[in-house]
Amino acid sequence: MSDKHLSSQFDSELHSVSTRVMELGGLVESQLLNAIYALTHFSDETADRVIQTEDRVDSMEVEIDHDLSSIIARRQPTARDLRLLIAISKTTANLERVGDEAEKIARMVKSIIRSGSARALPSSELRIAAGQASTLLRKALDAFARLDVDAAVSIIRDDDEIDREFDGFVRKLITYMMEDPRTISPSLDLLFLAKAIERIGDHAKNVAEFIIYIVKGTDVRHTAIEQIESAVK
Amino acid sequence: MNAVTIDPREQKYARRKRVNQVAVGLALAAMAFGLFWLAWILVETVRLGVSGLVLSTFTQMTPPPNEVGGLANAIYGSVLMVSLATFIGAPIGIMAGIYLAEYDPHGWLASVTRFVNDILLSAPSIVIGLFVYAVVVARFKTFSGWAGVIALALIVIPVVIRTTENMLQLVPPGLREAAYALGAPKWKVILSITMKAARAGVITGILLAVARIAGETAPLLFTALSNQFWTSNLGEPMASLPVTIFKFAMSPYENWQKLAWAGVFLITFAVLGLNILARVLTRHKN
Amino acid sequence: METLTPTREKSKISVKDLNFYYGKFHALKGINLEIPENKVTAFIGPSGCGKSTLLRVFNRMFELYPEQRAEGRIVLDGEDLLTSKKDVAILRAKVGMVFQKPTPFPMSIYDNIAFGVKLFENLNATDMDERVEWALRKAALWGEVKDKLRQGGSSLSGGQQQRLCIARGIAIKPEVLLLDEPCSALDPISTAKVEELIVELKQDYTVVIVTHNMQQAARCSDYTAYMYLGDLIEFGATEQMFFKPTRKETEDYITGRFG
Repeated sequence: MSDKHLSSQFDSELHSVSTRVMELGGLVESQLLNAIYALTHFSDETADRVIQTEDRVDSMEVEIDHDLSSIIARRQPTARDLRLLIAISKTTANLERVGDEAEKIARMVKSIIRSGSARALPSSELRIAAGQASTLLRKALDAFARLDVDAAVSIIRDDDEIDREFDGFVRKLITYMMEDPRTISPSLDLLFLAKAIERIGDHAKNVAEFIIYIVKGTDVRHTAIEQIESAVK
Repeated sequence: MNAVTIDPREQKYARRKRVNQVAVGLALAAMAFGLFWLAWILVETVRLGVSGLVLSTFTQMTPPPNEVGGLANAIYGSVLMVSLATFIGAPIGIMAGIYLAEYDPHGWLASVTRFVNDILLSAPSIVIGLFVYAVVVARFKTFSGWAGVIALALIVIPVVIRTTENMLQLVPPGLREAAYALGAPKWKVILSITMKAARAGVITGILLAVARIAGETAPLLFTALSNQFWTSNLGEPMASLPVTIFKFAMSPYENWQKLAWAGVFLITFAVLGLNILARVLTRHKN
Repeated sequence: METLTPTREKSKISVKDLNFYYGKFHALKGINLEIPENKVTAFIGPSGCGKSTLLRVFNRMFELYPEQRAEGRIVLDGEDLLTSKKDVAILRAKVGMVFQKPTPFPMSIYDNIAFGVKLFENLNATDMDERVEWALRKAALWGEVKDKLRQGGSSLSGGQQQRLCIARGIAIKPEVLLLDEPCSALDPISTAKVEELIVELKQDYTVVIVTHNMQQAARCSDYTAYMYLGDLIEFGATEQMFFKPTRKETEDYITGRFG
């Protein structure tokens, strides 16, 4: 946030809520990295850690929303401040969902470990995709802290790629399932995991869209990437 | 036993309190001093004049020395000349006051007018009397009621100009602007809005002017002079209360002196009544 | 100064290259503005920015003070009101004004309303009664004063007095209504009533309101003009001004980053 308000109270309130969102982002990011580790190494222990973090994520979301309502009630924010607060609210929701997805991945991993079947299946692509999604989340959080519009546009583009890879992965799984019906059950598990990863990428993209909203005042949700690029110039 | 510590603030406060008490005491003493004399005057006036409040004072004319009589012609003359002077002087004063406050408050004519007005306001009334003597009485070769009226009017006008201008200046400009904003022309704003708002103050000014001229003696000495007999012809010398009092009080005749005191009583309480009326009017407005 | 205008709206008043001086002081600098018809336009800006000055040019109130002068053109219904030969009183009957401080005339409530009407119209007693009632109803005051029309205007509370002044302004059926900080002397409830009134008035009148209360401008107006030190910085639809203003100066003022 560039200039200072006449009310330094307001400045510190905005700064405080922004810091908390960054904290939530960091927490969710580490949660995701742990989930990926659990997936890669089929570690039951790490999966448990991911699930335990979820409570803290939920309570942070509630606290941040509470702070936001308080600021809006008392300060009647307008223009850039208003857009910032709306964006923070939505970003918080998106981050909380990333946490949910990470938790789902962890639970899936635990169930796969229990059934003992997964080691034979092509999960290397998943691991790469998961890595891409978590990198995208990191980039989105960085860009949000700096309100970097150019970075936001490239994140939106990168998520399109994740989406395409997800489609490819689904097609591959379908061929496996068609070839050998015994692979249906573990394939569905993998599909589930892939979906969670794809959603994480989408959430990172949403955060990037809100960066553009804050800085340019344009709502680019549900818009094609070419139109976004021209809107941002 | 502990030593008593005196808080320096309390010490200062005690000193201020003492100074305050001394000052209030002195103020009260000064007021008492002033009131004492005023009260004495009133008491003496009542004491010496109340015996003159009989019907004959109002119905009989000024007598020759040592004869029974009253003040009828003097009362009538005063009332007549004061009323006429007010009817002539007040409208002129109001219109000039309106000009000064509303039409061109910063113009050169306004500045000159105010300057001249201030001089007239503080001019000794005897000077005004002599002026009218030279211009009117000497020219027409007779003392007359009209000359008296003119002299009194010349005293009324500056007072009314000053109070009218002041009262109009007190009217908030927002009130005028609101009237203009509705499309009212200037004369209507002044008449219907500004003057109406200042009405009580302007009337007070007129009443105070009346109270002043009711007691003026010097101008009448050279203009209306006096008249032992009844007259309602303003072309002739006319009796008035102040001049009659002057004449009778300086005389050695007892009945004249008594009538003089009666006259003093009448004037004093008439002026007092007008002042009270003026105050009641302004208070009621607020 | 470039012309900042909302498109797609019919313009009631066109301000072209307006410059205004208090003696030597250049108070308004080259203002170009279109006031849309039957909408509420708000002027906002810090103290001394010229918003009241601009408002008072529209009904030539500045002519009461010899050291104030205006240059430029202000076109109302096709005629430049600054150079018009018509009597200024006729202009003021068309462009009414309500001031910051309520100023009831020293007469009864009824006469307060009737005063302006009598200046230009000859109504018989019944018609005048109707007009007074109509104006008081429009100003949301009728219910409170209908039984005391003959009482003095100053017997009302502050909020009622201001609504009386508004009724007085409407009674002459102007086309444009200029409101100079109409609520700044009022309590919140009276303010809310007056704001309701303003929104309703725009059906029949073009309303221009000067306010130092930004939230009031945001609540009541369709268009907002932001002024600073005699310049018109930005003018646009209120929603847009308060959500995504074009100029940084506007955003700084609106978000309280001023100074």
